[in-house]
Amino acid sequence: MFFYKGLRMPRILHIDLDAFFVSVEQVVNPDLRDKPVVVGGDPGGRGVVACASYEARVYGLRAGMSLAVAQRLCPHAIFLRGNFYRYRDASAGLRDILAEFTPDIEPLGLEEAFLDLTGFEPLYGPVRKTALQIKRRIREELGLTASIGIANSKVVSKVASDLCKPDGLVEVLSGEEPLFLAPLPVAKLPCVGSKTESALRRIGITTIGELARLPLSFLKQSFGVHGEIMHRYASGIDGRRLAPPAPPKSISRETTFGEDTSDRVFLNATLHYLGERVGATLRSQEKQAKCVTLKLRYADFESITRSRTLKEATDTDRTIYEVGQYLLEKALERRAALVRLIGVGVSNLTEGRQLKMFDPGTERLERLNGAIDRIRGRYGFTAIEVGSTLPLRGMFSIEDGRYRLETPSLSR
Amino acid sequence: MMKVSCSQEDLSRGLAVVGRAVATRAVLPITSNILIAAEGSQLKLAATNLEIAITCWIGATIEEEGTITLPAKLVTDFVNSLPSGRIDMAMPSQSQPVELTCARYEAHISGLDAADFPPIPKIDEGVTIRVKPDELREAINQVAFAAASEESRPVLTGVHADFDGDQLTLAAADGFRLAVRKLSLDNVVDEKIAVIIPARALAELNRLITDQEEPVELTINPKKSQVIFKLRNIEMVSQLIQGTFPNYDQLIPQSYTTRAVVNLADFLRATRSASIFARDGSGIVRLQIMPKDGNGKIAISARAEEVGDNLGEVDAAVEGDESKVAFNSKYLVDVLAVLAGDEVVLETTTSSSPGVLRPVGKDNYVHVVMPMFVQW
Repeated sequence: MFFYKGLRMPRILHIDLDAFFVSVEQVVNPDLRDKPVVVGGDPGGRGVVACASYEARVYGLRAGMSLAVAQRLCPHAIFLRGNFYRYRDASAGLRDILAEFTPDIEPLGLEEAFLDLTGFEPLYGPVRKTALQIKRRIREELGLTASIGIANSKVVSKVASDLCKPDGLVEVLSGEEPLFLAPLPVAKLPCVGSKTESALRRIGITTIGELARLPLSFLKQSFGVHGEIMHRYASGIDGRRLAPPAPPKSISRETTFGEDTSDRVFLNATLHYLGERVGATLRSQEKQAKCVTLKLRYADFESITRSRTLKEATDTDRTIYEVGQYLLEKALERRAALVRLIGVGVSNLTEGRQLKMFDPGTERLERLNGAIDRIRGRYGFTAIEVGSTLPLRGMFSIEDGRYRLETPSLSR
Repeated sequence: MMKVSCSQEDLSRGLAVVGRAVATRAVLPITSNILIAAEGSQLKLAATNLEIAITCWIGATIEEEGTITLPAKLVTDFVNSLPSGRIDMAMPSQSQPVELTCARYEAHISGLDAADFPPIPKIDEGVTIRVKPDELREAINQVAFAAASEESRPVLTGVHADFDGDQLTLAAADGFRLAVRKLSLDNVVDEKIAVIIPARALAELNRLITDQEEPVELTINPKKSQVIFKLRNIEMVSQLIQGTFPNYDQLIPQSYTTRAVVNLADFLRATRSASIFARDGSGIVRLQIMPKDGNGKIAISARAEEVGDNLGEVDAAVEGDESKVAFNSKYLVDVLAVLAGDEVVLETTTSSSPGVLRPVGKDNYVHVVMPMFVQW
């Protein structure tokens, strides 16, 4: 056993692509390189900064900041609306590269992942060398830069990669975790948010080292279960294993309107469009859903969700839309006001479809759905449409065969 | 006016028999009462929920004839609580409570006038058929569960009963499965006749056929709107469902590519064990039917996402190709649990075509189950 001890030392690698959305845009359009670029939308609109280039960050721009503020801080920044499909493709490229090194991967969003390289060294040499190879492949094949942290745990490797951005590599040697963490500000720990940070500051704790030295009993008393986690993480102890990607429990799509609206035709058209997008995703995963949920946010930010459980699981656009529309009618009966956001989702996903005896209609509908999915897969969503989404034509532009909604989600 | 005495055991049993027809959520309040009529040498008990009506006669000594209705739950619970022995029931006048006495117990129960009780339909003419009670019981058991429980297509909540010569064919289908059972009649009907009997009524009938030895007599009225079942001392009338029952013959596959003969008990056990793991994932159990000269097998498996999976095997005499098919475990357990005999035949074609189950050595029953479309 003694000789194999080193083999079992956990080696966790955290990889994070730098300024992901902006970097992808810069690959597509090299003119954007070395310039302050913001992805998030039109500065006149109501969105927030989704991602800012490092040149823009110099001016204080940060993700989550409203676009109007961003423009005030950096008037010459280039504002882009972003394109989910480009990011998804880049993300798939990242996953393909990582998968060549290990199957033990936990993806986090589009541009981040943990890799478990425990026991790797005797076979493939130092983990650091592997990390450099990964970085090189990403640069050569995707044109992007990545920052990598290597440590004995998820939490320390994530702190490490964050510390060396952009295009960095930090390896924390086994046993040196507390030493590495000690001088860093507490906010660098993933479990410390702004509220916890200020609570700690009030008692004079600013560095992770100081946090680690606080008695566990005191942290438990002040922060409950969370205090216990903070104590462990601050000491560089994190026994969590990687969680392989789990099948989704729900699928939803939503959009915020450029202008608040109460136009039923428009609301229905948007709902239908979103419902079809949900249905296509559901079918691509070969799942059925038993529950349909409508989400509405009114102009005054009152948000409601309404759900309906179906007798039989479905994967057809028409059912998702019809149930969504019924829920919308009900919601607007309760309160008819200007709507800011609409969304539709499905949950209670099941596998398999019970075939029926007397229902040739379902089979027809399935073939129809399949045919539409194939047409859209090849020629884009707008290549074939139902009548009720046509009103969207006059209101949104079409890009890559899809409607450009006002504030599309960039991460899915 | 009424004055009657009977035994507590008989009254308790009679109330239990008619109690099944008492309306639970009564639109008409009097239908939550039981009609009690002292006439001739018997005490008649009757209840109806307007879909079915059950009448039962028990032996009694009648001093004065009379009729009243009493709240079903109250009178049943009270009589059940009494010691065995003689019960006296007396109603001095129509407007006064009924007095029940038994040993040293005494109760007064206010009733509602029997004149307001919905008339229990009498069916004296029409087509009359006689069936052996055991065979009818088994047939109902093998068919009624396959009827639909919800009302979206009312005809499917019924059992199709087709009388032809000396043969009765019962069939039920809920859109996912079909059960068809043939049985012979004790008499011959002159004219082919087909009706749809509510599955719920047949389920009730099955509870009533207990120690019956003589044939069950059934009469369908000339309008084909009601049926009466006559048992010893019990009659049940049911409304018939109007409408067109699907032509189920065309739903029974005429051919197969794989045929497996399996021990019924083994198959049921393996399916039940798989269904424990199938509770999460829409009840899917997967069957892999593998032929092998003389000693093939069926592998029955299920998995629950993030929880676990299981696999059971049963020996089978398999003819034809290897095949894979998935079913809702409930549907499979339902049919395997009611099949008679030691062995069952499973016939399959593709993984999206219906599976057919039949008992071995009997051609009186066939069950068709639609599969589930799954990824293998």
